Formats: sequence, C-alpha cells, structure tokens
Amino acid sequence: MNMLKVPLQIFRYKPGQTPGYDTFTVEIPATAHVIDAIDAVWTSHDHSLAFRRACHHSSCGSCAIRINGLEKLPCVTRVTDVWDGRSQVRLDPLRNFPIVSDLVVDRADFFRRMSAADMAMICEAEAFLPFTVDTFAVADLEPKLVELPENFSRFTRFEKCIECGICMSACPTMAADEKFLGPAGLAAIHQARKKTLDPVKVEHLLGLADGEHGVWRCHSAFECTEACPQAVDPAGKIMALRRELIARRFLKMLGK
Amino acid sequence: MENPFAEEPKPTSAWLWQVLTGVGLVILLGLHFIANHFVAKGGLRDFEEVVAYLRNPVILCLEVLFLLCVTVHALLGVRAIFLDFGLSEPAERRLDQVLKAVGFLTVGYGLAVTWMVIR
Amino acid sequence: MSTLNYRKLSRSSRWLDVRRRRLGMWAYVLNRITGLGLVVYLYLHLVVLSLLLRGPAAWDSFVAVARSPYVLALDVILLAGILIHGLNGLRIALTGFGIGVGAQKALFVVIMVISAVALWVAALKIFRV
Repeated sequence: MNMLKVPLQIFRYKPGQTPGYDTFTVEIPATAHVIDAIDAVWTSHDHSLAFRRACHHSSCGSCAIRINGLEKLPCVTRVTDVWDGRSQVRLDPLRNFPIVSDLVVDRADFFRRMSAADMAMICEAEAFLPFTVDTFAVADLEPKLVELPENFSRFTRFEKCIECGICMSACPTMAADEKFLGPAGLAAIHQARKKTLDPVKVEHLLGLADGEHGVWRCHSAFECTEACPQAVDPAGKIMALRRELIARRFLKMLGK
Repeated sequence: MENPFAEEPKPTSAWLWQVLTGVGLVILLGLHFIANHFVAKGGLRDFEEVVAYLRNPVILCLEVLFLLCVTVHALLGVRAIFLDFGLSEPAERRLDQVLKAVGFLTVGYGLAVTWMVIR
Repeated sequence: MSTLNYRKLSRSSRWLDVRRRRLGMWAYVLNRITGLGLVVYLYLHLVVLSLLLRGPAAWDSFVAVARSPYVLALDVILLAGILIHGLNGLRIALTGFGIGVGAQKALFVVIMVISAVALWVAALKIFRV
C-alpha cells in the first residue's frame, strides 16, 4: 500500500487557552480521506484533539470543517485532492458557529433554525409504505398511507440536506447577522412549504421567510450553493421563496 | 425554551423597493447622463443652459423622479450595510428613523435648490 | 459550556474577507464597494449643485474646473463604479427573482467584460472631447 506522510496544521482551542494551530505529520494510505488523517492524529499523536465524525460517507453531516479555508466534508474528501505534496493542509472549524473546542462547533442555534421549518425525521416516501416490505421489488404495490402506531408522528425530512452546516459557514451574511435564518434554514422552509398542502402552515412558513432576517437578508453571494456537498442549491431555494413572496404581495395588492 | 427562529417576524418590502428603484435608476440615470453629457454642447451645461434645462417641465419631472429614486436606493443600500452590523431591535428602529430623516432632508434640499434655480 | 467566537475581523467588516471566495462573493463585495463610493459621490454632487445658487460666475468657473484632466480621470473612475454597480445590480435583480440562478457566474463575467469595454470607449470619448 502506498503510504504518505502528510503535514496537517490544525486549529486548536480549549476553554481558557489562547486559540492557535498545532502541526502534526501523519502517515496514512494514499487513498485515505481527510477524516482518516484526523483520526490518525487523535490515535497516534494527541488524544485531546476534539472533532466530530460518524458515518464516513456524507450522510450524517457531522464532520464538516474547513480544509485549506474551504468548507468540505472530510469523510469524502481525499487527502490527495487537498494536498499538493509539500505544504501543510490547514484544518479549521466551520465559520459562523461558536467554537466549543478545536474542530468542534456549537450547533444548537443551527438546529433551532432547522426546527423552525418544523420538518421531521424520515423520508416521506417511507411513511407511505408498509414497514417490512421491500417495495422496489414489488412493482404492483400501491403506495398508501400506513397506519402508524399511536404517538408516532409522521416525520418527513429534508431529503437532500444532511444539516452539515457547510452552507452556514460559507455564507457572508451569516458572518454578519446573527439573526439570519441562513441558507440551510431558508432552504428547509422552502422544502417544508413545498411538502405541505395545509394553507395555515404555508402562511406560517412564508411568514417566517418574509422578515428582515429571512430571505431578504441574502446578498446573493451564492457561496452556499457553491459549497453544498449535497447539491441542495440553497441559493436557488431562497430565490424561489422570494418569487413566491413577491407574487403573493402583488396578488394581495390586486385584492385577490 | 421558545425557539426565536420560529416566531414570525414583521414582513419587509425593502429589498423589493431596492430592486424597483434600481431598475428605475438604470433608465433615469441613463436619461440624465445622455441629456447632460451627450445632448449638452461640450458635455457640460453652463449656468444659462442649466436653468433652461430645468425649466423644461418634462425634464423637471424626470429629474425629480431621479432624485427620489436615487435617494431611496442609496439609503436602502446604506441601511442594508448597517443591518449586517448585528444591531439590536431598538438600534434597528433608530437606524430606520435616522435614514428616513436623511432621506427627507436630501430630497427636500434637492427640490429647494431646483426651485430656487428655476425661479 | 464556554465557547469561543473566534474572529479576527469585527462583524461589520467580515464581508471584506474574500480569501478563497468565488465569483458570486466577488460580485457582492464589488457591488457594496461601488455602492458606497456612489453614495459618497451622490452627496458630493448634491453639494456641488448648490453652486448654482451663487449665480453664473460661480457655476461657470466650476464647469471650467470640471473640464480639467484630473476631474475627467475621476469621472472615468465614477463611470466604472456606475457600470459595475448598475449591471451587477440588474444581475442581482434577475437572480433574486429566480431567473438565471444557474448562470450567475457566467452573467458576472459577461457584466465585467461589458463594463470594461464600455469604460474603454467612454474614456476615449471623454479625453478626446
């Protein structure tokens, strides 16, 4: 196996200490991803390194950080894609989140923003299917609403978005305005609005987006769409919400 | 704990007005530019030419509209920059009051100067 | 839990950090800078117009100064600001309504090219007059 000796420059912070960078050189396979390099630092060099990781395949969104200044998911970013063979690979936590320690950021307010859209946990398609059936194998199965057990709310989630927070880090308005709902929050509102037919809920969702710190605070930098690892296109969703809000305002003016 | 992001805020039309005045300015500034630097001999009007120019009622209307559009657009833009400073709610309201006052003063000043010139 | 809000730049100037940013961000920063420049120019222009109240002598002598090459050079810079801000503003208006969001980078490039060409032509005309 081809092994590489990769120098990493990692942001370090522990409460009560001055923030700074530590350098580590790790020996990892040439096919390794950046998260493997971080693992190697923790395993062989410094057990005090704080970082998040879980699924290792861009489904959970836990590991999001900045690699050489750009927001990425290190679990699907190969070391060879970000290392020129000589310079240090710089790892920083996400921007626009309070830093807990090293590469770990506080996501509480981020999850509050996602909760504002009031979307839930499983794919809507799954709620229409009997639990135990592999429906893709049963071609003539009619999708029908399944009776769910009591106290089991029907949950539908924002299917593409893995809530990694990368768009929030890339967004210059998030850097400026703490009250901004952010690309993820607004894209979630757009998705929830698309998925509901309840007019009261639609009004509420559009109302959330219509404020000074909603869709109108976006400055069209499009960094969110550029950085998103899941092709959610939050910028496009923000613009779609704007169009709907203006159309409604226009129709209201005409008395409809 | 209440989720502050789940409370419906006041709706705002600021961005819409920014776009509308912006598009208006592309036209009005274009006309202003052509009238003052292409139509005018030598690209600039001397005193007599300015007075004659402003005494034309069509021109006067367009220039007043231009003044209104540019003031609204400029101050909405300045407001947008200040809103990125992380202001508190009372500070945001004070900002709006100050900018409204500046807007009225600007337009008032422009109208006053115009009136005194064409009299 | 004590967290660190680690920023070298104050909240009001973070938008100026363009390191590793892409075209969309550059467009936003340029629009803001040109916008600020144009606001300054607007109020300068309005103040200068008060010279009209001092009569023909005051105004005409200002016009003579306005023809000097230094002022004309500033006019070219002003025009650059107007072109970039105006054309980019139209791009923001379009994409803000969801039109051409996928082409936002290409639109920015086209706008900068048009601005450069128009500015060059205008500079030639301004200095030949």
